[in-house]
Amino acid sequence: MSMNPTLHRRSLLAGAAALVGTTTVAARARAADATTIKFWAAFSPADPDYKAAMTLIPAYEKAHPGVHVELQTISYDALHDKLVTAVAGGDAPDISWGLAEWLGELNRMNALLDLTPLAAAWPDRSAIYPDALRALTVDGKLRAMPNYIGLRAMLYHADMLKAANVEPPKTWAELLAAAPKITAATGKPAYGIAGTGVRSPQELLVFLAQNDATIAKPTADGKFRNTWGEDRDEHARVAEVFAFYQALQAQKAMSADAKSWGWQEEDTNFSLGQYAIVQDGAWMQSYIAQSPKGMADVRIAPPPFSRKPATFFEVAPFYLFRASANPQATWDFGTYMLGQDWQAACNPGRSVRTDVIKHDQWGEGFTSLAPTGVVFPPVALGGIIRAMEDSIGHALREGEAPDATATWLSDNINRSLKRSGELGPAS
Amino acid sequence: MPPAAAQRAGGLRRDRGAVAALPRAPRRLGRIDRTRLEALAFVLPAACLILLLVAYPLLHVVWDSVHNVDLVDPAATGFSGFDNFATVLTADDFVPALWHTASWTVLSVAGEYALGLISAVALAQPIIGRAVFRGIIVVPWVIPIVVAGLTWSWMLAPDFGVTNAWLVQLGVIRHARFWLGDTGTALLAITVVNIWRSFPFYTISLLAALQSIPEELHEAAALDGAGAWARFRAVTWPHIRPVSAALVMIHVIWTAINFDFIWVMTEGGPLHASETLPILIYRYALQTYDVGAASALATMLIGFLVAALSVFWFAVLRPRRAAMEAAA
Repeated sequence: MSMNPTLHRRSLLAGAAALVGTTTVAARARAADATTIKFWAAFSPADPDYKAAMTLIPAYEKAHPGVHVELQTISYDALHDKLVTAVAGGDAPDISWGLAEWLGELNRMNALLDLTPLAAAWPDRSAIYPDALRALTVDGKLRAMPNYIGLRAMLYHADMLKAANVEPPKTWAELLAAAPKITAATGKPAYGIAGTGVRSPQELLVFLAQNDATIAKPTADGKFRNTWGEDRDEHARVAEVFAFYQALQAQKAMSADAKSWGWQEEDTNFSLGQYAIVQDGAWMQSYIAQSPKGMADVRIAPPPFSRKPATFFEVAPFYLFRASANPQATWDFGTYMLGQDWQAACNPGRSVRTDVIKHDQWGEGFTSLAPTGVVFPPVALGGIIRAMEDSIGHALREGEAPDATATWLSDNINRSLKRSGELGPAS
Repeated sequence: MPPAAAQRAGGLRRDRGAVAALPRAPRRLGRIDRTRLEALAFVLPAACLILLLVAYPLLHVVWDSVHNVDLVDPAATGFSGFDNFATVLTADDFVPALWHTASWTVLSVAGEYALGLISAVALAQPIIGRAVFRGIIVVPWVIPIVVAGLTWSWMLAPDFGVTNAWLVQLGVIRHARFWLGDTGTALLAITVVNIWRSFPFYTISLLAALQSIPEELHEAAALDGAGAWARFRAVTWPHIRPVSAALVMIHVIWTAINFDFIWVMTEGGPLHASETLPILIYRYALQTYDVGAASALATMLIGFLVAALSVFWFAVLRPRRAAMEAAA
């Protein structure tokens, strides 16, 4: 069958135009009918919280006709870059999971809604841990909603400590003293760290706090500054932290490979009983199903410290974006996720609500440590985190003098603050 | 002006005047003109797409490289001159990253070419099951880089990696090593994995070139008493040289700008030991949000590649081509 080519082209063009027109009309009709909330989350499809959310989100949509929640699941590894590029490109979602470490930079990008007025009229506000809300407040303005909290505790294999006839260490000195006994009794290292990746700066932050040092302090002009260069006592305490890292390595208290471990290696090796003690989160409970034998003797205690008790208080936030066309609907959905039903179903052991508590070591064992929790300062952390990770490498790989590493890290933190326009003056 | 030329010029002027005096008839396009216009119409969408997707971002990067563009510092705006270039060039990690990029590129391309050539020559021989081997050898190349990178990360792990187990069993090493966690071996390990993944592209390209060589040439050379090496040098090499040059040039570019393999396997670590310029660009843009510095480094990387390939073209390929044409 032959066809006039001109006619054929015209038909094709007309068909394409009709298709585009129909699609546009349909999209407009859909947009007029429904409020769509774009929700990015780092759910893992195999985890119970995802399964619970898959029931609770449709229930919310049913209770709120005209509201459609468009869920996109993105792993934490990819979520940060996707959010940053989406914000820079003016295409941010309405609400997203995130890490507290991103608060400063997203706030500096002017990407976040000011939730202060909305939170003022929120009936459930009193049920949320005040520390969690405080951690997400910048310059007196609430910039995110807490999603879940992830406190760190000391996890230890009780059988390994029993075999070495040592008690769970309460201080760094006790840990270093117990290490050779544990290795002698079990043939395995005593302690695990993450020498690289996202967790290594978190662990360093806690070690610094346990030795009474902070990476950046607020200055009078509302900015931040690392003060180790001006406060020689604090500088010495920071040097002690790097000396502690080196002591763990020199005394073989940690695996020789731990300086290259990321969080996966740290968690997996602990769950398999490859070493005895770690500072880790309640998510380690999920390893019980994978390694029931290795996790059977795991017990929980406060982390050992040097000068004062401290642990990492991870407040994973929901970020609500200024670019949202439906801020009120997004806030309402956010408050639904912070409600008792959602929190009990999705975050039973890590809830941000004071009335959702799991009464076992995986719940109270962690939440009881909340008063000693420390968080990162609310500044752009990209360069700072990188410098912190590098400083561990300086101490463990290059054997640099702890004092020099402390100076190097102090200089790089202030350089990073200066680059992002957040460096305050020296006092 | 010579008389003949003046006459011709005058004649032309006269002709033009005569044409101008005539009423202008509507000009009909010839067949060739119509074909050209049609061709232009077909090319135009693609050209627009390329301008939009390639030229515009490229020019934007160059523009950003001389401006203050910082995602987390709204106060940083305006023309910055060469400040971004100075920021990059004076950073501690620039020279190591440049060196890593050069060594990663040279070792990868050299290894890929050597392995590709050996396997292509082997697969050009009349061996039993040749078609099956040709099919199998392409497998690494069709595996996505992320999958290959993650799988190799597992295989190279010290505790449960099969590579360490084999090397220990074979007596090559005494104890398992953390190949990707050691500053001395990380980049080399990724390079080996990259060679493994990329050499099949050389194999199939060189194999195609080898198969285009007339068999009579080899037979004639053999009758003249040429050995295997002499036949390769006099018959095979001249035929595969153009393909080799193209392969090397393409792969120098692809390897120098490769980001995903290194990022998946080490993220540039440990302690920057496998950090190349593309990784550094990523860090500037998405970890410290200094888009100006990232653009400056990207502009410099483009400059390095253009310079290297220009030197290769003008110093090596062009003189050889001229010599061959002169000989012919």
